Amino acid sequence: MAVNLQVALGRLRLPNPVMVAAGTFGYGVEYRDLVDLTRLGAIVTKSLTLAPRMGNPPPRVAETPAGMLNTIGLQNDGVDAFLLETLPRLREYGVPIIVSVAGETLEEYVQVAAKVSRAEGVAALELNLSCPNQARGGMEFGVSAELTAQVVAAVRRAADLPLIAKLTPNLGDLTPVAQAAVDAGADALSLINTLLGVAVDAQTRRFRLSSKVGGLSGPAVKPIAQYHFWRVRQALPNTPLIGVGGISTPDDALEYILLGAHAVQIGTANYVQPTTALEILDGIHNYLQQHGFESLDALRGLVG
Amino acid sequence: MSRYELPAVVVEHQRRGANLYELILHAPPIAERATPGQFVMVRAVRTHAPLWRRPYSILRANPDKGVFSILYSVQSAFTELLAMKRIGSTVQILGPLGSYFQPVRAARRHILVAGGVGAPPLCFFAARLAPTLTPDEHLLILAGARSSEMLVGLDEFRALGAQVRIATDDGSQGYQGYVTDLLAQALDDPLETAVYACGPNRMLRTAADICLARGVPCQISLDAPMPCGVGVCLGCAIPVRTPDGGVWYKRACAEGPVFWAEEVVWQ
Repeated sequence: MAVNLQVALGRLRLPNPVMVAAGTFGYGVEYRDLVDLTRLGAIVTKSLTLAPRMGNPPPRVAETPAGMLNTIGLQNDGVDAFLLETLPRLREYGVPIIVSVAGETLEEYVQVAAKVSRAEGVAALELNLSCPNQARGGMEFGVSAELTAQVVAAVRRAADLPLIAKLTPNLGDLTPVAQAAVDAGADALSLINTLLGVAVDAQTRRFRLSSKVGGLSGPAVKPIAQYHFWRVRQALPNTPLIGVGGISTPDDALEYILLGAHAVQIGTANYVQPTTALEILDGIHNYLQQHGFESLDALRGLVG
Repeated sequence: MSRYELPAVVVEHQRRGANLYELILHAPPIAERATPGQFVMVRAVRTHAPLWRRPYSILRANPDKGVFSILYSVQSAFTELLAMKRIGSTVQILGPLGSYFQPVRAARRHILVAGGVGAPPLCFFAARLAPTLTPDEHLLILAGARSSEMLVGLDEFRALGAQVRIATDDGSQGYQGYVTDLLAQALDDPLETAVYACGPNRMLRTAADICLARGVPCQISLDAPMPCGVGVCLGCAIPVRTPDGGVWYKRACAEGPVFWAEEVVWQ
């Protein structure tokens, strides 16, 4: 039986639902010799800011039980270097490219998005709403429905590309923020970004990250991510949603699809096994065949 | 850049010390391309905890037999899993990765400073360097550890015809004190020298300071927490000097692990 893995997230059409998540796959080209990039549903790039960013001092990462904390601090080459040097190389693979847009101010998001939208060969923008807001003492943009709506609306006006808002889980109820993002013009939502956490080293009697607080990811976060995903799914039954958080096996991805995901993103698992996204793609394909589903539409939302 | 992600078969698993084991793996593409100073990312078993692969410097490589080996001591959940690996089983390997030691051809004396479990990449380097030396070039190994049973690779260094000097913190073998004291002493001899060092970062900093103060070229292999090993996660950032006098980060896994001492900004 032929299986159709194509997905549509509003205007954004992808050959399959398995993407690699922002910040976990570099700019894509770094893995070209280890992973067949042409088979990915999409590559979400490392988040880009207007100017190159140095990032945070080490230590930047710490392994935690079934997970990891990071405080990379948005180290990146800046949007201009990406558009000039990296994007042309990445375009050659023909894989949909989703550019992750970051900013410390509303204006920065808008400027980065506008620059990217003028380039050739970008399929969509994903707004990283976990960035620290300079005007509000470093609070994440995405914890406020009002700020989220402002960023989404401003980027919407500045860039004519499908727009994905990536939600932070670092608030009790994501649904008001999710609703605000959609009302302001987001075509789809990714959830969740990393959870705030700390880790302490009993031997050195210090925090294990330079910034003390970092973002938790990996298998440990999956139940929390799926909880938020499920609640937002219930509140916004018609919005295309992308499940992110703790996916490392085909079953992890299928669980999000059963909860109503149109697509999934693989993050931390890329570090452990660079070919994870392709293994998951094959696993989803086999599952659909074995269980007699012709497409993901038949599977999506069966658990609700 | 040629690197591979593959299952490597355990062909031998040998005890090398009180708590020191050598895992010999069959993986011809990696054995053929491995250069001293490079490392592999190892995954013993598919587990969520421990989650990350671990970086291991390559101890030796035999391209003819298609094998290479790593050295480890059992001290964590990860190394307990590694210790359970039987001959014929596989471990998942990603490599060879990172930068490597570059022989300084102008030097008449090559000093390798090995701190504890930092010795493996220097064993590999010594094995490849020794046959290339001219009669007027010397190879001196300075090996340090907390205690004598934690010294690594001494027999192999000696078998290469290298002179070996030892320092232990507890005085159980050789000089009692830091291996970097031996380095400072050795550099009193004005012979044209190059230094190559691997060990704890504190030892490397001291070695780098000693060499820089005397204008001796020095390469150091730095360790950092390393989730991906291939330069994408930016977790293993090492502060380095930029040409314009500023500071930026390089990646221990990609531009490193071997750096020139003068590049590194110690914090």
